[in-house]
Amino acid sequence: MNNVHSAVLDASTGWIILTIFSVIWIFLGWFWGRKAKKLDDFMLAGRNVGMALGTATAMATWVTSNTTLVAPQFALQLGIWGMLGYSLGAVGLILFAPLVRRIRSLVPHGYTSGDFIRLRYGVWTWRLFLLISMCYAIGWLISMGMAGGVLIHALTGIDYQYGMTVILIICVTYTLLGGLRAVIGTDFIQTILILIGIIILAVLTISEIGFEKMHKDVLAESPELLNLLMPAAIMFLFNNLLFGIGEIFHSNVWWSRAFAFREGVGSKAYLFAGIIWAPIPIVAGFIALSVSSLDLNVPAADMVGPMVAAKLLGFTGAVIVFVVVFSSLASSLDSLLAATSDLILQDIYRGHINPKATDEQLRRIAKIIIVLLGIVTWLICLPRIATLGSLLQYLGAFVASTIWPIAAGLYLKKANATGAFLAMLLGTFSGIWAFFSIGFYVAALVSAVVSMSVVLISMWLRPDNFEWSKLNEQPEQLTGEKSS
Amino acid sequence: MIVSSGFLSIMVMMALTVTIIAPIVLIILWIKDWIKGQLW
Repeated sequence: MNNVHSAVLDASTGWIILTIFSVIWIFLGWFWGRKAKKLDDFMLAGRNVGMALGTATAMATWVTSNTTLVAPQFALQLGIWGMLGYSLGAVGLILFAPLVRRIRSLVPHGYTSGDFIRLRYGVWTWRLFLLISMCYAIGWLISMGMAGGVLIHALTGIDYQYGMTVILIICVTYTLLGGLRAVIGTDFIQTILILIGIIILAVLTISEIGFEKMHKDVLAESPELLNLLMPAAIMFLFNNLLFGIGEIFHSNVWWSRAFAFREGVGSKAYLFAGIIWAPIPIVAGFIALSVSSLDLNVPAADMVGPMVAAKLLGFTGAVIVFVVVFSSLASSLDSLLAATSDLILQDIYRGHINPKATDEQLRRIAKIIIVLLGIVTWLICLPRIATLGSLLQYLGAFVASTIWPIAAGLYLKKANATGAFLAMLLGTFSGIWAFFSIGFYVAALVSAVVSMSVVLISMWLRPDNFEWSKLNEQPEQLTGEKSS
Repeated sequence: MIVSSGFLSIMVMMALTVTIIAPIVLIILWIKDWIKGQLW
């Protein structure tokens, strides 16, 4: 077998590409951000985002570096079900579509997912939710920061630490300059780049190897990858479905967009984004099945995508995969930076520290938070501590515990605060137990089942009779002053 | 239960078709929003 020891792109080419994209994204961040005069402009892009930008930002944010790097990894480890299971992540986007309409009508002046939990379930459930959200947000940021370093090193030989640092600096800078408007604007361009790049790689893989040869070689070397009855892979499928739903239902990345999209746009944008996202893990993942045909020895499973592209397509392939994963990274990192800073600003700073802060103060604090988040992520990413896939799956235990408290809280008056609190707590702990006792592929599954049981039992034992009008909190109630 | 190469090719080609259509639709939507002044 051939070992790919040396990067296909030399370091200087890598730096040139990084510089070009840095200049473009930072300029666009500044260009779109200069119009953001009010807090709503900075945090929520003026609450008036249309269908094209709305769909693209939902889709691009969900196409993370984890999609473009981990989808091939899962295809290599879990075969057919690895790809299909990952593509079920789209169900989260599709199921969130009707929730967006509900969220906009119930919480018209909201800023974050934390706002809903606080108004619906009270302070203690809100604090537990914030803890889960922050664990997830930091975990996802680390996952993407690490992916950036891994990709750049795999393709150009630039040290992991340098690559990871550069990607973080670029995303922090343009998010800082333009807020959510910059994030959504750049997401559209990044979506187009990602889609075109993946299409080129897939078409060239098919034309170079072909399905017959790929199938024959996989069958000879790793037939279990083509087995529809691979037990671990089937568990992974359900686990990933619930993980995806949990990520989207709870994360402020998606709630902030629900508040940012123009009235009537949100549901359609999320639905369409889900439909066009679903095939991406299959298209990006199946190229990993060509490892046998290419006689490649893959030293780390999360490097299989870049290695196959580089081996198959040489310099062009390396450049394409570099641009695709760089765009995927940027589109998710910027979204997460913006949404997490919103959560810290609105729910921790304004909610716990300074409830009477003015818009001007909040804008200044938001920028400080974005910089601090970047620094924290950088510090944690410096040592490469886990493979991307296992780090991502670990978070499934946290997020899947929030699915039922959120869904029930949006639609059922009977859902109560105690049940929601216990559902998140017990769901998370049981998911973590399952992660270590059984495997990564069941963490979200166990967490969601326990959480669901707790919510249903609590509604049966102590049904609430919640007044929906309590969710319609006016902006002046939040800030202590009239919003501009 | 091993899948055939035909199954693999149909699955990937269906996914690829949707992926090819997606950027075209997005650009059309962008142009429509831009003409109406409703990008954001």
